[in-house]
Amino acid sequence: MSALLASGLAACSGSENSSSSANPNAEPAKAGSPTEISVLIGKSEIISQFEEMVEHYNTSQDQVNVSIISLGNQNAFDKMTTLYASNNAPTITMMGSEYESMHDKLLDLSDQPWVPHVMKGSLDYVTDGSQIKGMPVSVEAFGLMYNKKVLDQASGGDFDPASIKTQDQLKSLMDNITSSGAAEGAIHISPMDWSLGAHYTNIFFTDQSSDRDQRHKFLDDLKKGTVNLSENKVFSGWMNTLDLMKAYNINKSSPLSPVYDDGPTALATGQVGLWFMGNWAYPQIQELDPEGQYGFLPVPISNNAEDYGNSEISVGVPSYWVVDAEQSTTDQQKAAKEFLNWMISSEDGQDYYVNKLNFLSVFDNFTAEPADSLSQSVLSYMKSGNTLEWMNTYYPADAFPAMGTSMQKYLADKINKSELVKEFEAYWIKKGSN
Amino acid sequence: MYKETTLKKKITVFSIFALIPLFVFTAVVIVPFIIGFIMTLTNWNGTSSVFQFIGFNNYKAAFSDNQFWVSLWLTIRYVFFTLILTNIVAFFLALLVTAGRKGQHFFRAGFFTPNLVGGIILGFVWQFIFARVLVYFGKTWGLDIFTYSWLGDTTKAFWALVIVGVWQNAGYMMLIYIAGLMSIPSSLSEAANLDGAGSFQQLFRIKIPMMISSFTICLFLTLQRSFMVYDTNLSLTKGGPYRSTEIIAMHVYDDAFIYRNFGSGQAKAIMLFIIVSLIVTLQVRVMKRLEVDA
Repeated sequence: MSALLASGLAACSGSENSSSSANPNAEPAKAGSPTEISVLIGKSEIISQFEEMVEHYNTSQDQVNVSIISLGNQNAFDKMTTLYASNNAPTITMMGSEYESMHDKLLDLSDQPWVPHVMKGSLDYVTDGSQIKGMPVSVEAFGLMYNKKVLDQASGGDFDPASIKTQDQLKSLMDNITSSGAAEGAIHISPMDWSLGAHYTNIFFTDQSSDRDQRHKFLDDLKKGTVNLSENKVFSGWMNTLDLMKAYNINKSSPLSPVYDDGPTALATGQVGLWFMGNWAYPQIQELDPEGQYGFLPVPISNNAEDYGNSEISVGVPSYWVVDAEQSTTDQQKAAKEFLNWMISSEDGQDYYVNKLNFLSVFDNFTAEPADSLSQSVLSYMKSGNTLEWMNTYYPADAFPAMGTSMQKYLADKINKSELVKEFEAYWIKKGSN
Repeated sequence: MYKETTLKKKITVFSIFALIPLFVFTAVVIVPFIIGFIMTLTNWNGTSSVFQFIGFNNYKAAFSDNQFWVSLWLTIRYVFFTLILTNIVAFFLALLVTAGRKGQHFFRAGFFTPNLVGGIILGFVWQFIFARVLVYFGKTWGLDIFTYSWLGDTTKAFWALVIVGVWQNAGYMMLIYIAGLMSIPSSLSEAANLDGAGSFQQLFRIKIPMMISSFTICLFLTLQRSFMVYDTNLSLTKGGPYRSTEIIAMHVYDDAFIYRNFGSGQAKAIMLFIIVSLIVTLQVRVMKRLEVDA
């Protein structure tokens, strides 16, 4: 019995030893044996492709050995608190808004060769004084996704996405979709709180002004309680567009029933012509309709085509690769930087990045380019500079569930417009007073 | 038996039998619980290395959170209905599969199976049934009640949770009731038969009173299981639509890890612990008094 106990204790202290060697002052790993680093990755939809890439990297050189910590069904913040508390932090983490509470533990990457090549503005979120603490993972975009086949039939010819820049144009397009018989319904709305509360709401924040400081001031003013939303022109226009979408919703009689998977199915099978969603949905659509052509339309919030936001779609960087500076050795940190650089600068890495992981790169020195129509659509908006900021990165952690909940109630007609405004204002004022 | 007289001998015996379990219990239950409680008195955010003691502010925040009370009331309703339905269903299933019909062993296994499936998987299976299968039949046959997914409507989503909870637990409770039924001496029912007691009289006068201990166990288990349910809640409704089916365990987790209010989330967890232990203690005491000996 005591022997069992002793071995148990030995096992405990054994693991303690191995983790205490993850101290920056510990002796460097012996030459010849590869440096072990770990990557915590959240996007479960690409995990097998990522594994394939890591496998390729591990066999292509003998200096670094990368292992993957998968998130499974856990929440990223939950997993990270556990790993950090057990002194077992991952060397590299794919991180989104968790950055807010983690940034003092992360390594400065401002000396990295990729820094001059990133898309403008995409490092704002991870810039900490003079330091840059994250490498953008990919570009994601959302807006009104369309199925070109349906819209071609609805508009009686070759559909031009530039033809939709006002609410009236959107309305007549949706009318045409149903009246021409091109599809069963005009639009599918996914009632998930993140889609409504984080993505759809982003539009009324970012459309406030083409000037970054102005629109961020709007967010601050909302917290201070000095904004009257019902008198805000952009907000009212945005609500009107929501009403429009609501009126043409294919699931109008039970708007909260659809699950996420209903969306790609509805769009790809041509049941609807439009779906408010982002390019991450493409792999599923491609599976159902590999030959189809897809693209994005802006969400117009007024009847003036010139208004800011009526020709743009929301493009942003939802997550970053970050390197732990607290519990990893200098060797591991070096290896982590090498791995990240390999991913985005080597030919093999870029190929995996674009073609297997389906990432849209933020870097201007990529030779590999995505071939599918939806990514092309995003790229064309990016090239012409018609992009909107993801203000939702700056939301507090509970903003999207709170606003999403209010919007779900509004979709299901449980509350009216003034109640929605009241709930939004109440939420933001409560956040400002904390 | 052991007859230790000296203190040293007592300690030796105690160490041989209880030290290791006691050590494990302390290490994995008592210590984390105490640390967890201390955490509720601080403003630690889950990751930072510095924090201050802020007294009972987290509890104040938890008490003043309307959503917490909404969620608690929802949980009480959920527990009430699952408790009653699970035990009624389980008891009748037990009567059915001990009645001596053909193939009853097969049915026993069948009714027990849902309990072997993990809650997450089970939730996804039922999500598919509610969102697709029933909707398909509802549309084909024009059944209004199934035309749209139950999970998109607050009341129906609640009942969907109850149905799945009952379906998952009834089989397990059935096994306990079967054991209870089998343990009733056959002499009692033979005597009752001779005296001309009908099957209903036998059920209410003999079987149920003789099985009070099974009821104690089953009520205790269903109460505790449904109060703490998380996995089916997560995979079936995720608390939706608009947080109307957010059962308390999910509310506590979400508060701490999704909304990142670590302090108030932890405070709520402690409050939940107190509530559940009060209910369970009370219930066990009441049921103990009702037990009879054969």
